[in-house]
Amino acid sequence: MAEEFSTDGMLDMYLFENGQLLEQLQEMVLDQKDADCFDEDSINEIFRTMHTIKGSSGIMMFDEITAVAHKLEDIFYYLRESHPDNVPHLELVDHVLEVEDFISNEMEKIRNGDPVDGESGEIVATLDEFLNKIKGGGGSSKGGKKKGEAIPENKHEEPKQFYIAPVATSASRFYKIYVSFFPETEMANVHAYKVVYALKEIAEDLLYSPEDIISDPDTAETIIKDGFKILLQAQCTEEDIRKVVGVGYDIDKVDIIECKANEFLQGFDFGEHDDIPVMPTIDLDSSVEEIDARSKTADGDVPKEEKKPEKPAIAPGDFVIKSKEPGKQKKLAKDKPKTEKASFISVNVSKMDQLMELIGELVISESVVLQNSDLKVPGLNLDNFNKAAAQLSKISTDLQNVIMSMRMVPLANTFQKMNRIVFDVSRKLGKDIEFVMVGEQTEVDKNIIEHISDPLMHIVRNSVDHGIESKEERRDSGKPEKGKVILSAKTEAGKVWISVEDDGAGLDRDKILAKARRQGILDDTKPDSAYSDKEVYQFITLPGFSTNEVVTEYSGRGVGMDVVVQNIQAIGGALEIESKKGFGSIMSLKIPLTLAIIDGIVMEIGHSSFVMETGAIKEFVRVKEDMMIHEPNGDEYIMIRGECFPVLRLGQWYGLEEYKESVEEGVMLILEVEDKKVCLLVDKLIGEQEIVVKPIPSYIKKVKGLSGCTQLGDGSIALILDAPGLIE
Amino acid sequence: MEERSELKRQVDAGSASNESDTQKGKYMTFKSGNEFFGLEIQYVNEIIQLQAITAIPETEDYIKGLINLRGKVIPVVDVRLRFKQEPFEYNDRTCIIVINIKSMMVGLIVEKIAEVVEIKEDNILPPPNVGRSDRIQNKYVYGIGKVGDTVKLLLDPDKLLNDEDLSVVEQANEMNIDEE
Repeated sequence: MAEEFSTDGMLDMYLFENGQLLEQLQEMVLDQKDADCFDEDSINEIFRTMHTIKGSSGIMMFDEITAVAHKLEDIFYYLRESHPDNVPHLELVDHVLEVEDFISNEMEKIRNGDPVDGESGEIVATLDEFLNKIKGGGGSSKGGKKKGEAIPENKHEEPKQFYIAPVATSASRFYKIYVSFFPETEMANVHAYKVVYALKEIAEDLLYSPEDIISDPDTAETIIKDGFKILLQAQCTEEDIRKVVGVGYDIDKVDIIECKANEFLQGFDFGEHDDIPVMPTIDLDSSVEEIDARSKTADGDVPKEEKKPEKPAIAPGDFVIKSKEPGKQKKLAKDKPKTEKASFISVNVSKMDQLMELIGELVISESVVLQNSDLKVPGLNLDNFNKAAAQLSKISTDLQNVIMSMRMVPLANTFQKMNRIVFDVSRKLGKDIEFVMVGEQTEVDKNIIEHISDPLMHIVRNSVDHGIESKEERRDSGKPEKGKVILSAKTEAGKVWISVEDDGAGLDRDKILAKARRQGILDDTKPDSAYSDKEVYQFITLPGFSTNEVVTEYSGRGVGMDVVVQNIQAIGGALEIESKKGFGSIMSLKIPLTLAIIDGIVMEIGHSSFVMETGAIKEFVRVKEDMMIHEPNGDEYIMIRGECFPVLRLGQWYGLEEYKESVEEGVMLILEVEDKKVCLLVDKLIGEQEIVVKPIPSYIKKVKGLSGCTQLGDGSIALILDAPGLIE
Repeated sequence: MEERSELKRQVDAGSASNESDTQKGKYMTFKSGNEFFGLEIQYVNEIIQLQAITAIPETEDYIKGLINLRGKVIPVVDVRLRFKQEPFEYNDRTCIIVINIKSMMVGLIVEKIAEVVEIKEDNILPPPNVGRSDRIQNKYVYGIGKVGDTVKLLLDPDKLLNDEDLSVVEQANEMNIDEE
């Protein structure tokens, strides 16, 4: 049996779907962390999420995950049915996040092929305690424990996932089905599940007993002993059902009895009262609520058919409820069909890359066709051709845009993670912080997102930890006690700006300077005032530089900011720091939209074309020979507006042929990288265009100053110059 | 004899694909300088006309640069320069043989493509060790194939591309190791 359930495809699907569910869950929980309690929709949603995770983990046999999910599901079941008033909301949020962490962790282990060895015991125990606590408020003294046992109550919800929208019509027929398995069948519960699964296809409504077949292996015995009972509402004949259920090697016999609707509604009145572990030995006080609960759920789920409160019948065996008080209809949201699931597919990135390459080729062949020299023959009437060509160009441009947008992912997920960090850190540090996200829909290339997550986390942590002051300090300085951290993203000039703004203490210029002096970073001859704010703040990005006196759990060790800057620079970004003492600081990451496409200036030296990223070029200048300064050792400098720049003649440096010797014939490019400037002499500029960056084949050893190559419109190849490499 | 059986094993292992039967024992031959060379056909992807080459600065002289093969950027190597022979003028007979070794595509610029020939194993001799250790190209040549009256120098493309300056003895040793 096991091998049937352990195929890789299923596992991938399991991880993927549950990963998404957990992300949604976290987002929702954090969304409402500041509210007094979860609203009804979220309670339902969390309940459903846990239910789904429980179900799928059960199938995949990850028992620990199942147990934890089940426990949390219990809590939310209780919340949604009983609406207790005294729920400590933050504690609940903590519990949900704890569960989420546990499951994510386990899933990570599964993904890496590590043994799934997480222990659910502790979490389950705390959750139990919590459940008892919130129940304790309204119940009898022993109620807690008793309810704890009564937890299986929520299993009654289990069949829910099989409620195909109850669209019963007069053509619907009702059946009772008894399936008996051979006594020697192993894991009869799983076999039973197979039957249920098959029936799901044709069922309008479906109940079965015992219900907990997925998560409770003990039901196997019950099924063997007493048979597996199914109530089915469907528009089909007995014949059809037999076909669906089938009689395999494991099924002994299948009895199908057609019954009336009202019988159906009565549930499993199979007349065997002694057979099932009698869960609903209900003590009257506490169970009214339970019964109500069931009825509410039932009515909520099938609101269109008042005549079908059949769900109470879920209680197996002796526990049969006839009907509900109609007045008690609850406004529980109906299960919404999860349409968004169908609208996404995951695609292998390599396929996307392939597609992108193909489109690149298409664009180039297009230009070859449209600018073909055969068309240049004088006297040709090309009106129709030109029309068609324009259409073709439009489509290929659209295609390019689409493929680029396919690689773009909104920052929302990354921002959500930050939300979580702010929540965790602020709770631990006892700070009250309002976290605002702006522009989380800003889209960035997937590769880049992977690179900014960690740096961003550092910055956010810093803001919360030593940006925002403690409550007392804030009160003393006349600020509202509640701190504020704003995480925002926007696109500007082909770059993405992500900034973390806090209204905390801000950076202390004097403190940083003093520390810098102590560490000997400063030039001793310069007074403090010679350093601009910008320069001073950059010091905190140096390795081993932290002004925080106290090392906390989260920051202060002086590692962090330098790593942040390194990571950001690795993807061609930069970090800017603004701050005002006493009013907070803003850390901005400036990041390219994508790694694959850059804006570049195409230029020519001799017969070779080169491309330089537009961002690195400060300006173009035409110069005169008399501005040059020649050193005896061959080094050259140039004076431009009173500033002296080293000159690099690319043609000479790379030993190219037929490049222009005279500086007056060529063009000077002033490049600036991290305040270092250099002048680059090239023959002429061709134009600016978007460049698809391709790596230089690995066969060729790395050449200093070249970072890749690209294809120009005419199909030729240009080399991409790497400004930092040239400056070195 | 030893080497030949080794070689045979190599050929058998290397051509385990579906096309192994049709490709086995076939060699793409081309002319460079005065000699004819042969490349096992399984390495050959295609043969293209000479096209615009973008030179790369600061590389070995035999690496002529990059070409754009339908959107793929591949490096090209001038075989004559690789063999330390005199450079030659490129003309319209000059071709680029695109080979694929260990999923790396490289173009070889050759003076003239000759033909595809079949060389039986019996007609492949190991390169003479004696008295020729000074000849630099020996290390790329793993065998000498006889076709009628002429001989083709059979090239090991991997060695051709990677700049290992091994002596012939070392090379022979390494060949044995490689093939095991």
